[in-house]
Amino acid sequence: MGDLTHVTINFDTSHLIFPTLIGAILGLLLLAIVIRDRRRILASGSYWKSIMVRSDKTRLFGALALTVLYFSLMEPIGNIWPNTGMGFLLTSIPFVALAGLLFMHDRRLSKAWPLLVVAVIVPIIVWWLFTDLFFLTLP
Amino acid sequence: MELFDSLSPLFVLLTIGGTFVGIIFGAIPGMTATMAVAVCLPITYSLGLENGLALLLGLYVGGISGGLVPAILLGIPGTPSSITTTLDGYPMAQQGQGEKALRIGIVASLVGGLISLLILDFFAPALADFAIKFSYVEKFLIILFALTVMAALSSDLLLGIFSGFLGIFISLIGTYDVTNGGNGEWRLIPPGTEYWLQDGFSLLPLLIGLFGLATVLEEAQTGMQPGMSQKDVKVGKHERFSFRIFNGQWINLIRSSCIGTFVGILPGVGGSAASILSYSNAKTFSKHPERFGKGEPAGVMASEAGNNGLTGGALVPLLSLGIPGDSTTALLIGAFTLQGVQVGPLFIGNNPGTWDAMIWAMLIANIAMFVMMYFAIRYFAMVVTIPKHILFPVILMMCVIGAYTINYGIMFDVWTLLIFGIFGWAMGKLRLEVAPFIIGFILGPSAEVYFVKTLESFGDVSIFFTKSPIAMVLWVMIIGSVVGSILLNRSAAKRIRENS
Repeated sequence: MGDLTHVTINFDTSHLIFPTLIGAILGLLLLAIVIRDRRRILASGSYWKSIMVRSDKTRLFGALALTVLYFSLMEPIGNIWPNTGMGFLLTSIPFVALAGLLFMHDRRLSKAWPLLVVAVIVPIIVWWLFTDLFFLTLP
Repeated sequence: MELFDSLSPLFVLLTIGGTFVGIIFGAIPGMTATMAVAVCLPITYSLGLENGLALLLGLYVGGISGGLVPAILLGIPGTPSSITTTLDGYPMAQQGQGEKALRIGIVASLVGGLISLLILDFFAPALADFAIKFSYVEKFLIILFALTVMAALSSDLLLGIFSGFLGIFISLIGTYDVTNGGNGEWRLIPPGTEYWLQDGFSLLPLLIGLFGLATVLEEAQTGMQPGMSQKDVKVGKHERFSFRIFNGQWINLIRSSCIGTFVGILPGVGGSAASILSYSNAKTFSKHPERFGKGEPAGVMASEAGNNGLTGGALVPLLSLGIPGDSTTALLIGAFTLQGVQVGPLFIGNNPGTWDAMIWAMLIANIAMFVMMYFAIRYFAMVVTIPKHILFPVILMMCVIGAYTINYGIMFDVWTLLIFGIFGWAMGKLRLEVAPFIIGFILGPSAEVYFVKTLESFGDVSIFFTKSPIAMVLWVMIIGSVVGSILLNRSAAKRIRENS
């Protein structure tokens, strides 16, 4: 019993012990889940199809695309005016406006103007608050 | 007078302000106390630990409490912890007693919050004193116990455990930290990402992604339904509120508060479990169980006392063991990390000022919540009409600030937010559990140190079973939580089969 439970740790490879153990446990758990839910996994095509059918694809993928674009542009624009947070400010205003318009159901101007006002004012206030008051770095 | 040292006008103002914003977050369906804390976390960077905690604890108490507004007025729980408030609160609102139901819920929330605070004040230092004696073996087993309890209370035990271990696995990406006795070598880093991942994923961008962006994506997927109009909000006619309605209900209130606090102490168990357990107990012990679900005030009391009871309870394992009691307190770990303070058994003893400040913040937040909501409930009720198409883009923008500023300006943290936002959204579809995942991620590096260092010292796996009587008790609790969950799942499945 003593030999079976005895373990020698090599310091040079000690960083791999726990990840290997957790990886093995994850593999076993995954195997158990696959065996238990095999019927459901095999029939999961219809589950994913029903999720996609019920989803508002325009808003979901539109939100994702806008977010990726927002994050991608923030740093390059910020690099034009370094350490001013302008990248954050100049990308946040159109992002809030466009994302808000994307999420809206009734996009008439009379309904959209509060959003447009918020899209301009809130990023400016937040930018001022964090850069001038809290002295935090923004992109 | 040391107790009053942390009480500055700014401290009080931040607590009250946090409570106010938290109520608004809680009152808007789809937004939670966790989201409020995640979004406001960057503000704490420049506030210092105690003032930052004042703001965050205010948000926490306000966020949990605000959930009763839409639960009662619209029949939609503002936060998961208000699920059972809808069962009797909404029927009361439909009967024209919306304001009365709200005030009952507010008083019950105050009672729940204060009782849980008392238990926190008494129990956390005692538990911490006990936990100081723990060696690495017991600490490792406590983490294992936290994971199994959370998984056991998940809707699916196997998927719950898998989520927890997945969290641990992802937390191990990066360097085996030399400051914890590691060898400084990299592991699990995909080729080409060494520059960004050598320190692994940061906790806060991950949390902000899981609770901020994932919520926005979920709402976008369901079409971002327009907010309610004022005519949907059934506050009912204004009438004088009498506290006599609580006559004969104090046992219900105290029992529900204690249940909520106990559920909070269990790591990773959310407010929904607290309110469901409190509600079902109130129904069981009621002389009129048939009235529950039809507008019974005792149901609103039980649910709200239970979910606010959670607030103090969830802080007990965080401050005494370093294990978050729920997802919101997991975010509080982020606030501590930002200020370079480690939570665990030594926290209360080494930081008495911060401990007192937290107790004060919780007390002020509960009183502020009561005063604001009790006297201005008709105005807070209007919050549910704020359109989501304005709120969610602003929240996403705030998420970016939180993620970017955590490590003083690293864009990869913003991409981490995106990665885990998408992952969090997908987790729901894959039926994976967010709470065990987060706790696994937070505790993974500590679990590794405790495990590997124990083996280095003792060279024998059996030490985990034989180190001390406490270790043996912990193993009994670990096995008990897993076996109990399997038995409960089986009996629930059997009941479903019989009913169908």
